[in-house]
Amino acid sequence: MAAPLESRIAAYVAGRMAEAREVQATGLTRISGGASRETYRFTLAWRDADGAARERKMILRRDPPASLIDTERRIEFEAYRAFRGSAVPVPEMLWLEEGSDALDHPFFIAEEIAGFQAAPALLWTEPYLATLEKLGAHKWTILGEIAKADPAGLGLTEVMIPVALDACWDRELSYWEGVLDDDEAEPLPITRAAIRWLRANPPPPAQKLSVVHGDYRTGNFLFDEHGTIHGVLDWEMAHLGDPLEDLGWSFNPVWSFGRPEAGGLMPHDQAAAVWEQASGLKADPAALHWWTLFNCVKGQAIWISSARAFIDGGNREPIMVAPPWMLQNAQDRATLKVMGRL
Amino acid sequence: MKPEVPSVLGEMAQLLVRNADQSVHPADRASALGLTALLLGFAAEAWDAAAHHLVQENRAVHALLVRGAAYAPPPAPPAEDDLRLSALGLENARLMAALIALHTTVELRPEASDLNEAIWAELRASTERRKTASSVV
Repeated sequence: MAAPLESRIAAYVAGRMAEAREVQATGLTRISGGASRETYRFTLAWRDADGAARERKMILRRDPPASLIDTERRIEFEAYRAFRGSAVPVPEMLWLEEGSDALDHPFFIAEEIAGFQAAPALLWTEPYLATLEKLGAHKWTILGEIAKADPAGLGLTEVMIPVALDACWDRELSYWEGVLDDDEAEPLPITRAAIRWLRANPPPPAQKLSVVHGDYRTGNFLFDEHGTIHGVLDWEMAHLGDPLEDLGWSFNPVWSFGRPEAGGLMPHDQAAAVWEQASGLKADPAALHWWTLFNCVKGQAIWISSARAFIDGGNREPIMVAPPWMLQNAQDRATLKVMGRL
Repeated sequence: MKPEVPSVLGEMAQLLVRNADQSVHPADRASALGLTALLLGFAAEAWDAAAHHLVQENRAVHALLVRGAAYAPPPAPPAEDDLRLSALGLENARLMAALIALHTTVELRPEASDLNEAIWAELRASTERRKTASSVV
């Protein structure tokens, strides 16, 4: 039987901290969710070169046997690193391991931004309820900052594939349509109708080539009780593309969690205005509608891919069943809503 | 629901046995059992009405396909001699595939706008049938 995960983590880190002695990983806890990566928090303790005891809270993100999305962990790692120290709060990335020897699968280790919340359900309870507009303003300001950033200046054109401004929409739609073709376990008449509409009514070219986070929505950031965001998480779908793509994902109705506001936080027009102010870009309503509907298709592709991973036996963990069971029908209803059919 | 409920329940049964082993790390056990409880709740909610909804839906979709016979020959009516969910689900997939083909045709035909609207109404109704109490939309 393999050694406990804590000791294997400690052995790995010890090999990368030349001055450290008595390296230990303790308090390992798996964080629920994370169908694309297994996520654990732990405390790293060691003695430095002077013999002083040190301690730091950390996060381990490890690839599962099969994921609901196929992503390059190096892209995720570099995206986090690119925004470190900017107006986009992100945890510090520490080590990326692309081999499978150390912990059976590739992984990375980052600092934990501790002491804050991520669970959406908390937002609509006290004391968070009173901070929703402020939180929403911060959320879409950060998204505007991501849209405004220069991908080349961040070094991200080295790891992310560029795309022509007028080809952003087709690259993304074709990719996710391909995922649906490959992975659907049953016909999806609503999603297929949406794809036909999207192809018949393409959006204008992107205003600029931006970093697209790819999964920036309520639930993927760390917030406090004062309406401030302290960490933007889950960059595994980051890529270059149309900045409106991210705004559309944040407007996907499934991320409103049953509330009328965008992301369950603030009216859609206010959120778009905040984003425009921060990004210096325009949220053209017709283009934004296209990207919101596109993101309904993308969401459905992700949920059914999770089902496929379970059905084919690549990953039989219950986390692979939760997205399709909880979200496939809701995503269909979201698609109908965006198309004016619900 | 995909994956099918029986295959998920079977997997969860094995998962519970594995998690009874003391060598399982408590962090992994807590995560697995929490998610298992969530999924059992979903299965419990969907189970009673699942066959009824599929029979209803298969009949409604076939009626639309018959109505669209001028645009595509309708497939055979839904078989109802086998009421297992797996069998009804296969019939549903067969009929839904035909509905997608019909929808693709009639949405481009102005003279078929009534049928187009009827298809949208059935698609909306299908999401109502599948809606759970905790649905976010």
